[in-house]
Amino acid sequence: MATREAGKKMIMLKSPDGMEFEVEEAVAMESQTIRKMIEDDCADTAILIPNINSKILSRVIEYCNKHVPTTGATGAAASDTVAPAALAEDLKIWDAEFIKVNRATRFNLIQAASYLNIKGLLDLTSQTTIDTISDNSLEEIRSFLSTKNDYLPEEEQTIRRENQWAFQ
Amino acid sequence: MSFRSIVRDVRDSFGSLSRRGFDIRILGNGRGRSHGAVHELHDPVPVIQSSCWANLPSELLRDVIERLEASEATWPCRKNVVACAAVCRTWREMCKEIVKNPEFCGKITFPVSLKQPGPRDGTMQCFIKRDRSTQTYYLYLCLTSAVLVENGKFLLSAKRICRATCTEYIISMNANSISRSTDTYIGKMRSNFLGTKFVMYDTQPPYNASSVSHSGTTSRRFYSKKGSTKVPCSTYSIAQVSYELNVLGTRGPRRMRCVMHSIPASSLEAGGSVPCQPDIIFSRSLDESFSSMPVSKSSVMDHSMRFSSARFSDVSIGGGPAIRGQALSDGDDLKDTPLILRNKVPRWHEQLQCWCLNFRGRVTVASVKNFQLTAAAQPAAGAPTPPHPAPAPPPEHDKVILQFGKVAKDMFTMDYRYPLSAFQAFALSLSSFDTKLACE
Repeated sequence: MATREAGKKMIMLKSPDGMEFEVEEAVAMESQTIRKMIEDDCADTAILIPNINSKILSRVIEYCNKHVPTTGATGAAASDTVAPAALAEDLKIWDAEFIKVNRATRFNLIQAASYLNIKGLLDLTSQTTIDTISDNSLEEIRSFLSTKNDYLPEEEQTIRRENQWAFQ
Repeated sequence: MSFRSIVRDVRDSFGSLSRRGFDIRILGNGRGRSHGAVHELHDPVPVIQSSCWANLPSELLRDVIERLEASEATWPCRKNVVACAAVCRTWREMCKEIVKNPEFCGKITFPVSLKQPGPRDGTMQCFIKRDRSTQTYYLYLCLTSAVLVENGKFLLSAKRICRATCTEYIISMNANSISRSTDTYIGKMRSNFLGTKFVMYDTQPPYNASSVSHSGTTSRRFYSKKGSTKVPCSTYSIAQVSYELNVLGTRGPRRMRCVMHSIPASSLEAGGSVPCQPDIIFSRSLDESFSSMPVSKSSVMDHSMRFSSARFSDVSIGGGPAIRGQALSDGDDLKDTPLILRNKVPRWHEQLQCWCLNFRGRVTVASVKNFQLTAAAQPAAGAPTPPHPAPAPPPEHDKVILQFGKVAKDMFTMDYRYPLSAFQAFALSLSSFDTKLACE
């Protein structure tokens, strides 16, 4: 149902702190949650995105803008000259740069990606978290996640031994 | 990978930030109010909501851990899954929920996997390295399908200890200190003087503890070398191995018979399973194991308590459970005959002038230690199994459950599958190392 003219249609997204973002429908439809709203004709007025502040929402839109399939006039020219593999490589580098944010922002991004159901962004944020966890000691992981150790002493001992075995 | 290295850089910068301590965090909270700048790419001060990651919505946490579980499928990366399970309770529960037992996923993840049955489909390929000078043995998980490998994931270690009347193999989860007085001790294999009979001991009770271990249970309290901690420890006899006297003279193949008391023969039938698998590998303190045993029939004390309650209470209260318990254990005796494993009898190869078994390329050096174990066909009412069972056994009984053999000097492969666990397979393999005076 999304025709080419429909792709030009603009959607208004509103963050709970009152900021409004006007985005192309195609960009907004990167989010499966918003896509469903649009398809259900609930997008006549501005869509209020709860729980995601303007700072995070703007980043999410930035991501969607970059990742929207390049079918527009300018995009078509770009993708014709650049090989798809190189384009994907470009995107990867861009993603890596995009996710260079502090942990609070990253945490908000992963939540936003989950709520808005943007697969690419969810993949990116989850994978980055996994990479952060990988090859780190327990203390480093806990410190990164700023989680508290909530084990009883005996449990903690068991876990230490488990880790010792795993890292042997 | 370039992507990873970029991420690592970012992470390092986080590390240095968090090391700077509390004042920065407070400062961060103060200025966190000003969200004016929309395109603030590299916020220099992290605004830390206290343990937001620990309170990640469960579906998100599940997603992250599922990805991790899928991407870190092989060792050594798989240690990250173990690390994740150590973060906090919520994460641990999620990890335990997502990571399946080796029986179903064919992967070893947590140490407890070592006492859980191996995969139903396919085998778990391992190798054993022997160190003759220290009489130690190391079990590793193969990371490639190659027969002779240098590296693997360390699983278990064992040390041979000669005593006056027997030989013991102490089995530990620690590669560096193999001793019964540490908490990484998980069981042992003890031989008789001749090395023809072995008993396998586990520090944890098997599912049928009351019927199996009454003769073999020894409750022992010993002191660690440091003298400070007391490690109460029980041992339960869970299997017996006997090497039968060889009728073919000095150079013939061995006959091996293993009675696995902790594995019912029914586990190999369709829909069968190994009951009451452990959820933790480390031996618990005695009090703890009493309180947390799902069916507490592990001790003599418990029996006497049940008995006394039956004696002193009314039939309706005390007698009920006692009678039910009795009936249940009768049923167990009928249903749960132990699994019996026998080695496959090798064929004499006329051209090569040797005994031959098909190890499917996993064993390359001829040795008297090489063996393949299959489930023995169920004897009718305890009658001895004929040497060559005439009726074709069900296909499940044809599968090699454990095979062990030499690939180089001091290198052996050990492939096991359901219903044996890595621990049991390792112990059985160790028995093959011991000299059998009467068998060769």
